[in-house]
Amino acid sequence: MRVVNNERKLGSVFAPRRREFLALISGAAASQALGLTVLAEGTAKKGGVLKVAAPANPSSLDPVTGGSGADHPFLYTIFDTLIEWDYESLRAKPGLAESWQYPDPNTLVLNLRQGVVFHDGTPCNAEAVKFNLDRIRQDQRSNLKADVASVESVEISGPSRIALKLKRPDTALPLILSDRAGMIASPNAIQELGKEHDRKPVGTGAWKIVTWADNDRVVVTRNENYWKPGLPYLDGIEFAIIPEVQTGLRSVIGGQNDYVYFLAPQLKPIADRAKNLVVVSGPTLYCLQLYFNWSRPPLNDTRVRQAINYAIDRQAFVKATMGGIAQPAAMDLPIEHWAYDQTVARLYRYDPEKAQALLAEAGYKDGLDINMVSYTDQLMVQKQEVIIEQLRKVGINVKFTNGTIAEMSAAFFGTEKKGEALLSAWTGRPDPSLTYSLMFSKDAYYNAGRAEPPAGLAEALDASRREENINDRKRAFATVQRLVMENALVAPLCFQYELDAMTSKVKGYRPNLLGKPKFEDVYLEG
Amino acid sequence: MIGRRLLQVVPVVVLATFVVFGLIKLLPGDVAVTLAGENATEQRIAEIRHLYGLDRSFLVQYAGWVWNALHGDLSRSLLSGEPVADAIIRCFPTTLLIVALALLLSLAAGIPLGMAAATKPGTWLDSLIMGFASLGVAVPNFWLAMILVATFALAYTIFPATGSVPFSVNPVDAIRHATLPAAALAAGGVAEVARQLRSSLVEVLSSQHVRTLHAKGLAPGSILWKHGLRNVSVNLLTVAGLLANRLLAATVVVEAVFAIPGMGNLIVRAAIHRDFPVVQGVVFAMVVVVIATNLLVDLLASLLDPRIGHR
Repeated sequence: MRVVNNERKLGSVFAPRRREFLALISGAAASQALGLTVLAEGTAKKGGVLKVAAPANPSSLDPVTGGSGADHPFLYTIFDTLIEWDYESLRAKPGLAESWQYPDPNTLVLNLRQGVVFHDGTPCNAEAVKFNLDRIRQDQRSNLKADVASVESVEISGPSRIALKLKRPDTALPLILSDRAGMIASPNAIQELGKEHDRKPVGTGAWKIVTWADNDRVVVTRNENYWKPGLPYLDGIEFAIIPEVQTGLRSVIGGQNDYVYFLAPQLKPIADRAKNLVVVSGPTLYCLQLYFNWSRPPLNDTRVRQAINYAIDRQAFVKATMGGIAQPAAMDLPIEHWAYDQTVARLYRYDPEKAQALLAEAGYKDGLDINMVSYTDQLMVQKQEVIIEQLRKVGINVKFTNGTIAEMSAAFFGTEKKGEALLSAWTGRPDPSLTYSLMFSKDAYYNAGRAEPPAGLAEALDASRREENINDRKRAFATVQRLVMENALVAPLCFQYELDAMTSKVKGYRPNLLGKPKFEDVYLEG
Repeated sequence: MIGRRLLQVVPVVVLATFVVFGLIKLLPGDVAVTLAGENATEQRIAEIRHLYGLDRSFLVQYAGWVWNALHGDLSRSLLSGEPVADAIIRCFPTTLLIVALALLLSLAAGIPLGMAAATKPGTWLDSLIMGFASLGVAVPNFWLAMILVATFALAYTIFPATGSVPFSVNPVDAIRHATLPAAALAAGGVAEVARQLRSSLVEVLSSQHVRTLHAKGLAPGSILWKHGLRNVSVNLLTVAGLLANRLLAATVVVEAVFAIPGMGNLIVRAAIHRDFPVVQGVVFAMVVVVIATNLLVDLLASLLDPRIGHR
């Protein structure tokens, strides 16, 4: 029986920490400029309501029926996850499950924390967890079926112990259970409320739902029976939904709110100038990139895709379009992530001559035209301009067709197959195997051309889900990443930083690598 | 007259909602993609289309909406499941307060300015007021809104920069929150009222019957207030009615700047994600209000000018 939740054992494997990394890229001054100083001075105290400017209305407050990556900051307040993650590297750590192990490759056993109750008083025991995991797999409205596709059945093997019987080995499950799939809701509430549970969620989280008025506000209040000792500090949180982050920032400067997240890097100077405002930032998995349709000319030629990767000066891109506040991307994982691979990172240094040579070799000595699609918002258009200019230098003439996010991503990934490449973002997943299988498997939606991936990729992905030890998984991901990047199936550009601004009375907030704020440690001073 | 006008509501609502519904369906993009979430497969998207009835024909979907609406059910948001009627009941008062306040400001500032300009046509005062009015029409309201926020909410914290408070909860706070957005909206309104009033008032004041009044020895003030304004009041009313309807539409932009959860916010988000029950509901509510405004204007006009009612 092997246990995987011992963090300390794994600590040494890990590449540079966030602060070390920052010191590496731009000198020691960067960490100060980026506001990375730890905010945990003083002692935490209970009380007060945090007013948050949130950039998007939740798609649903039921983790199973929702679908937007912007839902998590709301969901985390109401729900606990079976597994949690380390803020800095996203390694798995205990949550509602105190520990977990794979007695054999096709079984995952979760030992649940005892004495936890839902907001409605229902005990959160093995039965409740089984109910949730079954619901994810069977409910017609579940958006999470693909996440737990490897689960054959869920068995109760004790009052606070369940066993997941798997169709195939899947060591990505613990981290999958740190996301939506691991958010456990009250079975009673789901049965009684039905669809209404979307709007009146009942979890075990640090706060309980009070109201959700669409596009207006979401209010949560303290769960007096929360299982984590001493937590939460805040009596409640009021999210004001303000889709324009610039307006959200204004609301914090003007004193209507205390905290705003998901700021665009261009807003940092404004936030810095404001009095009594603290700006916090940290790297995230949110990766801006060019998705390729590699099923048809000209991008079915590996050399053309490689040429694009060589032709992009990522440092300049970050400087010009992200106000310098982003991490240039060499693959779909940032330096801080436990599965980051240094050798893959060295593949594409900015090299326009090499790009031209590759293009010439591919038969495009006199240049070529590529149609790309993207979105109409101003910041995206700015990024397009930089891409157009950088690729023009090596003889690639890019033309962008723009529309709304829903429209253009459906046109590119859906049946229409519009454009050869899409400038967009990958918002990241807790386990890297999801990131890679969702984008590069043969029939994956985000593999726009549904083209065959390079030989060995599927096997390497399988291996990443078969290996249990984090070092072995890291090795499997190195192979995955190498195959993806050597074949240039994507052109990652940069990782966006989480950028938040808060009034000086907000204390204890820590950014995390997933880039989706959790408010558990936050308290108000004064 | 009222009965006939109320009958007109039915075809207008049907036509407006039908056209809007058609436009949403014509646009590329699909609410099912949003609903399916980030990990969606094509199969899942197809499943959702079926689950929500989005794979039915255009006319069947529209008929379904009309049928429910006739039974007093504006259905629910496809995205969040909130009943559309709840959303409208929550958002409309906020928007109406801003529109009403903007209309009030437009009239309160526009009427004196228009009168001052009309009584001294061709003077520097007239030029100044008309110059200001041209500027008021030309300035984009979202830009003005930003300037107002920067000045009166951020540099000097007199008004809140964002948000709203329901009038029913705290009237004073509600008006405080609505003041800056209303002021931003009203700039164009002030200008329009002033210009319209000036031109019609100048016309009346230079007419033969006013000359007769002067000849009779009536005081100029009495001529202006009693005869001049009375004669242009119908005109002014028409302008105010049109203005109210335009302000209602203009709130879309201003609400975004001030992060006000009103009708504009509601419809923009719904339209982006093709959440058609919400779009339909908002259009329906707006159409009803616009028709009601027009009706009110006509009624008032017939009171002010008895000739209108007899036509």
